[in-house]
Amino acid sequence: MSVLPRRILKETQRLMQEPVPGISAKPDEGNARYFHVKVTGPEDSPFEGGLFKLELFLPEDYPMSAPKVRFITKIYHPNIDRLGRICLDILKDKWSPALQIRTVLLSIQALLSAPNPDDPLANDVAELWKVNEIEAIRNAKEWTRMYASEN
Amino acid sequence: MSEYDDEDMDYSDQDDYEDYYNADRDVMSPPHNPDAEYFPVQCLSVDEVEKFLNELVEQLCTSIHVTPSMSKVLLYENKWAVQDVLWKYNEDADKLFVASRMKTLQPVSVKTKRDKFVCPVCVGPVAEELGITNLACGHCYCDNCWRCHFENKIKQGVSTELSCMALNCELLVPEEIVLSTVNKPNLRKKYQHFAFREYIKSHPLLRFCPGANCTAVIKSKESLAKKAICTQCETSFCFKCGNDYHAPTDCATIKKWITKCADDSETSNYIAANTKDCPKCNIFIEKNGGCNHMQCLSCKFDFCWMCMGDWKAHGTEYYDCSKYRENPQNGSESAKAREALKKYLHYYERWENHSKSLQLEKQTLDKIKERINSKVMTSKGTWIDWQYLLDSATLLAKCRYTLQYTYPYAYYMDNGPKKELFEYQQAKLEAEIENLSWKIERAETTDRGDLENQMDIAEKRRATMLQDFFHI
Repeated sequence: MSVLPRRILKETQRLMQEPVPGISAKPDEGNARYFHVKVTGPEDSPFEGGLFKLELFLPEDYPMSAPKVRFITKIYHPNIDRLGRICLDILKDKWSPALQIRTVLLSIQALLSAPNPDDPLANDVAELWKVNEIEAIRNAKEWTRMYASEN
Repeated sequence: MSEYDDEDMDYSDQDDYEDYYNADRDVMSPPHNPDAEYFPVQCLSVDEVEKFLNELVEQLCTSIHVTPSMSKVLLYENKWAVQDVLWKYNEDADKLFVASRMKTLQPVSVKTKRDKFVCPVCVGPVAEELGITNLACGHCYCDNCWRCHFENKIKQGVSTELSCMALNCELLVPEEIVLSTVNKPNLRKKYQHFAFREYIKSHPLLRFCPGANCTAVIKSKESLAKKAICTQCETSFCFKCGNDYHAPTDCATIKKWITKCADDSETSNYIAANTKDCPKCNIFIEKNGGCNHMQCLSCKFDFCWMCMGDWKAHGTEYYDCSKYRENPQNGSESAKAREALKKYLHYYERWENHSKSLQLEKQTLDKIKERINSKVMTSKGTWIDWQYLLDSATLLAKCRYTLQYTYPYAYYMDNGPKKELFEYQQAKLEAEIENLSWKIERAETTDRGDLENQMDIAEKRRATMLQDFFHI
């Protein structure tokens, strides 16, 4: 394993010292490029009250390439599929080396508050979200209770 | 299009560029009769294209004071229309630069104090030997980060679209900055190679020859849907879209048609060949064995597979059904689908037939050559006497080609008098092509006049089909 770039060290330090409210990210003991992430469901969203586990990995050419992020906790969301993969532009073509782990996690938290069924990853969820939003939100709350409750 | 204004006159003198074809015919026709299909193109090598593009870049550099690298960005973003760029420049230079992604509306303040600078990407103090660079947008990073960014993007195949590292900043990075930063020779080469391809793609009057393994670039004077022929590999194609030449169908329609054929034809062919509609509910039924007494799974109607009539009417004539009746259609959804499919297949079959006949073209030519040989051997005319047969075969292929491409056009036409007229003319062309084909098969030296007359008629019919296309 090559020496950890200064950029990653700095970001890790800042994440530990000044954590973002509602988000915690801790590097793995054995691999400083692998982070255990926990995001609390935003208020006034169907995910409120849930605690979602994610994994985040910084590839070799980070920050030239985007980090790889995936939900580990099951979640009912039109832009997140059954494997936890996330459809978010800044993780793909809109990635900029000026973005950071914290900005990425903030964007993911924002995605929980504002699902976008017009750019779906999980087709069945997005479909229901469009035709029957009330039922979709009920499902999302149910899943949050079943899979993401803190206890 | 003024130069084509008088083209509705005699079409018999079509092939200005095929001199051998003209040599012994139509001596009486006017000498400067423009052929609507004739499309002058130049076949350029990579070096020649480079020279041509560089001339445009220089032309712009001398007119307005920008670096060659900036000039390239301007031309790339404005389809290489030098005059257009100059006009926009005089109108509002700032607006032009912003629209061409060379400037941003509100550039951030440029950081110049190098000693206190912390690069936002690598968050490190910048090493002594390294510089910091900001683009026109003001976003500033250390040269090492810029280099990593460029290398990463070039590896992904990005060249002319290479933009600033900052979030949502679309400012394009000029070539000179990329080349002065990236020092790996293979990546520099890759970048230049990709950029060159992008420049050609963005120039409306240049097009890579679509021929397999052909490196030629075709240059024309106008971006028109006309037939371009590569002089290096002899591939012919539509200059505007790069597909096979497709008059009288336009580029968008032929694309739609080709996609449709690729999607539908297999499935629809299968459905047409292997299924019938239920006479009552019109659902598709595939018979996979058993007797002719069928019961529709969907509506439970009993009918005869042979005559499609009600089974009850059959009485004892079990397997001796010889009634022929048109499939009665009603207005249900599946009947409509069936009707649409029938319509499509009607056009598709004809399109496919002519395409297949054309594929046999080489065989036909070989046969004709063989025939000429045997005729000459048995002293029935000289080799020169028989050359007209080859010309007629070439013309036949040309007519078949045009005819093939009239089918997608007709398929997408709205019903009405215009379509009726078009299909009437199409039928006429088809008939004359058949006549011509028949006459070529049976040609003797004695009826050369008759055959040439037929060639003339067929060519005129062909020109009629193309008239509208070239007058648009």
